[in-house]
Amino acid sequence: MSSKETNRSRSLFRVITTDIHFWIPLSVLLGGLVLLDKLR
Amino acid sequence: MNAPPVSAPADAPVARMSTTRLRSLQSLGIFCGFAAGAWLGCAEAPIKLVNSDISPITVSLIMVCGVFLARWSLPALIRGTSHVHGDIRQAPHLVVWAVLAGCMWAVANTLTIYAIRDVGLSIAFPLWNTNSLLGIVWGFLLFNELHYAGWKRWLGVVGGALCMFGGAALLAVASSHQAAPGKAAFGVLAALGAGILWGTMYIPYRKAYLTGMNPLSFITFFTVGELATMTVLAVGYRGLGPLSRELANARPVLFWLMLGGFVWVLGDLFQQYATKYVGISRGIPLSNTNQLWGLLWGILVFHELRGAGHTVYAQVAGGSLLMALGAVAIALSSATEDEHNSWRDAADREGRRYGIQEEYVRAGMEGREFAARASGRTITDWLLILGSSGLFVALATMAKLPRMNISVGWASVVGAAMLFLLGVCGLALWRTTRFR
Repeated sequence: MSSKETNRSRSLFRVITTDIHFWIPLSVLLGGLVLLDKLR
Repeated sequence: MNAPPVSAPADAPVARMSTTRLRSLQSLGIFCGFAAGAWLGCAEAPIKLVNSDISPITVSLIMVCGVFLARWSLPALIRGTSHVHGDIRQAPHLVVWAVLAGCMWAVANTLTIYAIRDVGLSIAFPLWNTNSLLGIVWGFLLFNELHYAGWKRWLGVVGGALCMFGGAALLAVASSHQAAPGKAAFGVLAALGAGILWGTMYIPYRKAYLTGMNPLSFITFFTVGELATMTVLAVGYRGLGPLSRELANARPVLFWLMLGGFVWVLGDLFQQYATKYVGISRGIPLSNTNQLWGLLWGILVFHELRGAGHTVYAQVAGGSLLMALGAVAIALSSATEDEHNSWRDAADREGRRYGIQEEYVRAGMEGREFAARASGRTITDWLLILGSSGLFVALATMAKLPRMNISVGWASVVGAAMLFLLGVCGLALWRTTRFR
């Protein structure tokens, strides 16, 4: 992977992880997995 | 509309979408919502033909395999996978969102299995149908939906969704009067959890469509998350050995289950277009009319309520009427130009954040082509289409139709109505947006 592509991936990662919208579904997904584990 | 490639300079004045175009897209989105309800409801029909001892998790996994095949072969057939590559080049971050949404779907679907086991369909179904109410909240808070909509539209959307929730509750009670309740608290939690997951899953959907992604591209990555999560859950819950044995024994019913998944994808595709053109606050409740269609198949084709008392039939009539009224109220509350402008603000915000070309975002919102691409299908597309079709044909030769009392006449009538909806809505999508 070229350094330009690496920088782009890093930048994309940073933009996604600093987006509050990303953490809402992710938290709900983790909560769902915990609930599923309790129900087993 | 098949617009030529346009690349507006950054400082060019932004042309507003014409009122006629806006109305046409809104009507298309609402039509897609109703078609989604019909096809999502029909997806239960092939599964009803499966009368074996396969565990629900394995049933779910097999269905998701059918879903996976459909989600890759249908986009290849409709537009070709070169369009998928083009979308990913424009908005690569949406791959992450699509996979995340797919993971959420798989967990929610597994939770519904536990919910039905513990509290029965009558309590579980209305609880997970709360996803539409949560969708309205997310749409309003995160994507400017229902902003500047006026009290009449608020009343139409929120009142309609509540009306549908009441109707869903009545229908669920009527259609599962024999279900035995189990561990109530866990079941209620599972159903509510599924509703929250499904309601929140629309955040990635809306995010993708506001920033111009084509639903046909989104679903190809959505299904990667879906299949991966479902496989992990199935292996984790059943164990690799027992799961393999169960899959091998399920050979005669693999076709029906995967067909259910395929039908489900057609409904989901319409749901994606509904979400794209009318937003999540209207798209989700309209798709939830699937319960009405499921009931129609159950009563007319599979004779499910035969011998039931007057109370049950009264519940079915009342529930159906409430659901239909709620859906009509939402359908009549399409977004105004002011509200649509506030959607555009949300789209601009997303475009700036992720560095997406303004014209790409705008073209996506207006349902037109962003840039001229080589049309036609590649060898990969044809391999996907032929491979999936071949697999379905092979499974069909192994399939066995269980002895069941099915009304073939009614199945033909309801099936014809579904195909009519598929044809008309597909044609409307093609003529208005070329499946953009």
